[in-house]
Amino acid sequence: MTNTDPNTTVDKRGPRVLRREPGVAEIKPRAHVRNRKAAERALAIGVPAALLLLWQLAHHYEWNLLGYWKIDQRFYASPYEIVTSEKLREADFWRDVWTSTRRMLIGFALGAGAGVFIGLAMGMSRLVRAALDPLLTALYTVPKLALLPLFLTIFGFDERPRVMLIAVTVFFFVWISTMAAIMAVPEGYREAAMSFGVSRWQMFRHVLLPGSLPQIFVGLRIAAGVAVLILIGVELVIPSQGGIGSLIERGRTLLIPELTYVGIALAALLGLLFTLVVRWIGRLLIPWAPEDNAPGQG
Amino acid sequence: MTDTTRPKISARSVERVFAAETDNPVHALGPFDLDIADGEFCCIVGPSGCGKSTFLRIVAGLLRPSAGAVEVDLAGTSKTPIAMVFQDYGIYPWKTVEANVRFGLEVGGMSKRDAREKALFWLGRLGLTEFRNAYPDKLSGGMRQRVAIARALAVEPEILLMDEPFAALDAQLRQILQEELLALWEADKRTVLFITHSLEEAIVLGDRVLVMTARPGRMLESVQVPFDRPRTPELRAEPEFNEFKAGLWDHLKLQVEQYLNELRTVEEEGDER
Ligand SMILES: Nc1ncnc2c1ncn2[C@@H]1O[C@H](COP(=O)(O)OP(=O)(O)O)[C@@H](O)[C@H]1O
Ligand SMILES: [Mg+2]
Repeated sequence: MTNTDPNTTVDKRGPRVLRREPGVAEIKPRAHVRNRKAAERALAIGVPAALLLLWQLAHHYEWNLLGYWKIDQRFYASPYEIVTSEKLREADFWRDVWTSTRRMLIGFALGAGAGVFIGLAMGMSRLVRAALDPLLTALYTVPKLALLPLFLTIFGFDERPRVMLIAVTVFFFVWISTMAAIMAVPEGYREAAMSFGVSRWQMFRHVLLPGSLPQIFVGLRIAAGVAVLILIGVELVIPSQGGIGSLIERGRTLLIPELTYVGIALAALLGLLFTLVVRWIGRLLIPWAPEDNAPGQG
Repeated sequence: MTDTTRPKISARSVERVFAAETDNPVHALGPFDLDIADGEFCCIVGPSGCGKSTFLRIVAGLLRPSAGAVEVDLAGTSKTPIAMVFQDYGIYPWKTVEANVRFGLEVGGMSKRDAREKALFWLGRLGLTEFRNAYPDKLSGGMRQRVAIARALAVEPEILLMDEPFAALDAQLRQILQEELLALWEADKRTVLFITHSLEEAIVLGDRVLVMTARPGRMLESVQVPFDRPRTPELRAEPEFNEFKAGLWDHLKLQVEQYLNELRTVEEEGDER
């Protein structure tokens, strides 16, 4: 082989032979997949279990972390203590869980519904976009928790300020991702539909909605997580009418640390379950998208 | 120096099965055997879905075979010994033409200045100089494919793998690019493995035409192309060309029918059991 260009990059490893051979995944495909899944499951369970064990040990021996952070048994509850706590059995926290779940579901439904609706309208119409984009973009940057005093003044101390705050937060996440999703539907798909003379509704039903659903669900999943965040935040600020946040705060004021830990775990669990449900609905609605229904991310 | 009698690429009983861990495995390729000499321009033709891309990806190291092995003999004259040109995906819409061509050089560790100089050289050879600051989005299909070829050649690979690079182009443009590719190949005679579903394209370009069976792809026929080099695409106007093509075509038809008959008897035997 002759090279016409002087600027050649020579491989310093010199002459060698590349071999393309079957690997373990090809030689024993079934066993390989089985082993990989088993390893993944073991990690999913093992890592939290190991952390719990560490926590128990740290508590038992009152470890002194980095020399100045002492695990004092008076302030820290151990996993074992929490699970076996009598006080916990007396505390009626399922009411709080239900209160929080209800707030979250209603708030999320309102916010997501409005977000998808406005997002679709803005994605599809230049005029609607022109009318709402500057306003919403400005409001988007306002920390939503700052709206709480306002909502309390307007609605008073009932469920509405909490639900509204969740709805507003969810709205912005869903609105942005929906609008971006619609506008990102490739021109080729639109033109193909237009060549068949589709109506505006048909364009929406057959092209824009399915084309943007995967991205919309990415937004919904993020919003689901943020909804829990805001929910617990609000309940911590106004703990008077129950909820998981109020449970966490009660643990502190009543000097029952177990309660606080349980509250945190419940909040995590609520968020996990809720995002899983949103993801599962996404899979049902978007059978054509890859596993995680997040195109362009993997 | 590498042993000149050794093939550049040698495939031995290469097979690939997809979804092998499930109850519906797809036997995509093989067993497939092939030797390609250093500097040979080898074209593979075969029905769609017969495993051509699968084989190319195995040679490139993007995919492992399920059985058998491919050996690639490298002389060590290039830092990126194997380069690939895909049918459509591959050049990045977020990079300018020049940045696309520089990409392979920069990830290979070349300094920005040298990479730029070399990229400009190859852009010139493919007639892309005036588009060097454009984004691929603004280019026609033929121009985009030129960018892909420039990017692959810029790293001066020992082996060039091309997977139906001209399939999406119109007939005239196809012919122009074939001509350009012939000229580029004449200049430094790299080993090329070129996949196409056009028998005509394979004959115009290749030293040898390999025909594969339907899935799972096996070697059906390997024919030496008798026409002298340097060639031009005008070759296809010659009577000898059409004679050769027609002969190959008849031959193939017979083979394909034979192959189908064999399949049928195998299936019937299977049914009787
Ligand atoms: N990742 C994959 N998973 C499952 N099947 C695949 C995959 N890649 C290719 N196949 C199947 O293998 C066969 C050969 O594919 P391919 O090599 O792309 O064919 P060709 O390039 O000859 O048209 C096809 O039937 C295709 O559906
Ligand atoms: Mg292919």
